[in-house]
Amino acid sequence: MAERNATYLWSMRALFLGLCLLLIFLRLLPLDTLPRGWAGPDLILAITLAWGLRRPEFVPPVLVAGVFLLCDLLFHRPPGLWAGLVLIGSQTLRARAPDLRDLTFPVEWLSVATTLLAMTLGYRLVLSVLMIDQAPLGLSLMEMVMTLLAYPVVVVLSQWLLGVRKVAPGELDAMRPNG
Amino acid sequence: MAKDRTQDGDYSGQLKRLLGVVLVLCLFGLFLVWRIDSPRIERFRAQVIDRVVPSFDWAMAPVTGMVNLVQDFRSYQRIYQQNQELRRELQQMKAWKEAALQLEQENARLLDLNNVQLDPRLTFVTGVVLADSGSPFRQSVLINVGARDGIVDGWAAMDGLGLVGRISGVGDKTARVILLTDTSSRIPVTIEPSGQQALVSGDNTPAPTVSFVETPDRVRPGDRVVTSGDGGVFPAGLHVGQLTKDPGGRLRVRLSADYERLEFLRVLRNWQDERIIDPGGLILPDGPAEAGETATEEGAPADG
Repeated sequence: MAERNATYLWSMRALFLGLCLLLIFLRLLPLDTLPRGWAGPDLILAITLAWGLRRPEFVPPVLVAGVFLLCDLLFHRPPGLWAGLVLIGSQTLRARAPDLRDLTFPVEWLSVATTLLAMTLGYRLVLSVLMIDQAPLGLSLMEMVMTLLAYPVVVVLSQWLLGVRKVAPGELDAMRPNG
Repeated sequence: MAKDRTQDGDYSGQLKRLLGVVLVLCLFGLFLVWRIDSPRIERFRAQVIDRVVPSFDWAMAPVTGMVNLVQDFRSYQRIYQQNQELRRELQQMKAWKEAALQLEQENARLLDLNNVQLDPRLTFVTGVVLADSGSPFRQSVLINVGARDGIVDGWAAMDGLGLVGRISGVGDKTARVILLTDTSSRIPVTIEPSGQQALVSGDNTPAPTVSFVETPDRVRPGDRVVTSGDGGVFPAGLHVGQLTKDPGGRLRVRLSADYERLEFLRVLRNWQDERIIDPGGLILPDGPAEAGETATEEGAPADG
């Protein structure tokens, strides 16, 4: 039982990594080199937060840090800052996960929204304090809102297709990887 | 049971929290190091990109091809109309071709008359676009030539028609081209025919703004914009685009390069040209110029 759980756990972690790499790959495709007036959702972030709230053991901090550092490097962002903020944000959400587990989805969405807002504002604040030129405010706000709008979709899809759902209180001990 | 969970979480939970804090500190540390010593981390970034992006390459080409095929397929729906348009354009082009041929001959004659030396060292390396910046905030592309092919930071990249951007970040097998539309791009240009100097700065829109024009009255929409070569980064005279005016009255440049389909970029080899920094020395008579001082010392008594 324990062994099967461990394989399941590691396969889900691998799935998370694979999904992130796939999304990075899709974003890197040289399809539109013309500047766009809009920004799509940051799906990698949405998946990280959604999975982190549901099954924290699938998205360990090291994995999150690695994936977002890779994103920072590939997407030509200041390396490390956004990754660090995402790590803080996801850890904060994860710490609140036991309280959120019993509450309804809108409450969860609201707390994700506040975390995301804090992360975006913090990011822009640090960049402006250190005088690094940054993206237009409108675009980054739009990316944030799009991520928030995409969040429920990500949640639903990962529940239906990938089986990432909240653990019922009784299951918790049975699902514990080391238990 | 809830209590049991928290107690159990005490030991491993604290360890995990410590790990998280260390990770966050590492990341922020990396960011600060980047802020302080940017070139080293940028080199690291170039190496990472060098390693990661070419490994995506086998999948990237077919997927990009597929998507472009689907996009093209939509245009088949109005293929007749397109054909007509192309015919009409061809007619115009033929007229232009005649004009161009005449001009070329005239130009050759004039160059011959002037005995002009064109810079023979301005050759180019052509690269294929591998990936774009992947974010709506930065406008850049990765190309598949790098330090291996002798690419150096700061060289100009063009497509067949006009300037596209400048090399910024060179890996071994890849290089990043910051497009003119990126917010960090500033290019000194000359507006022809009036010869006004100006600066083309990208602002994340398809048409970068033109600022610092000396006398804006003397430039008109439709004027040619070429690089001026000031600052020594770019060679002079590369075609950038045409001047336009947006509804707000700001001058912008409509880029000649086809930004919708950047597939092949040519990177111009631009070896630093010689600069003339110091003023000329004194012009002295030919013979004793080398040993001027000794000559005067020895020569003085003889004269006197």
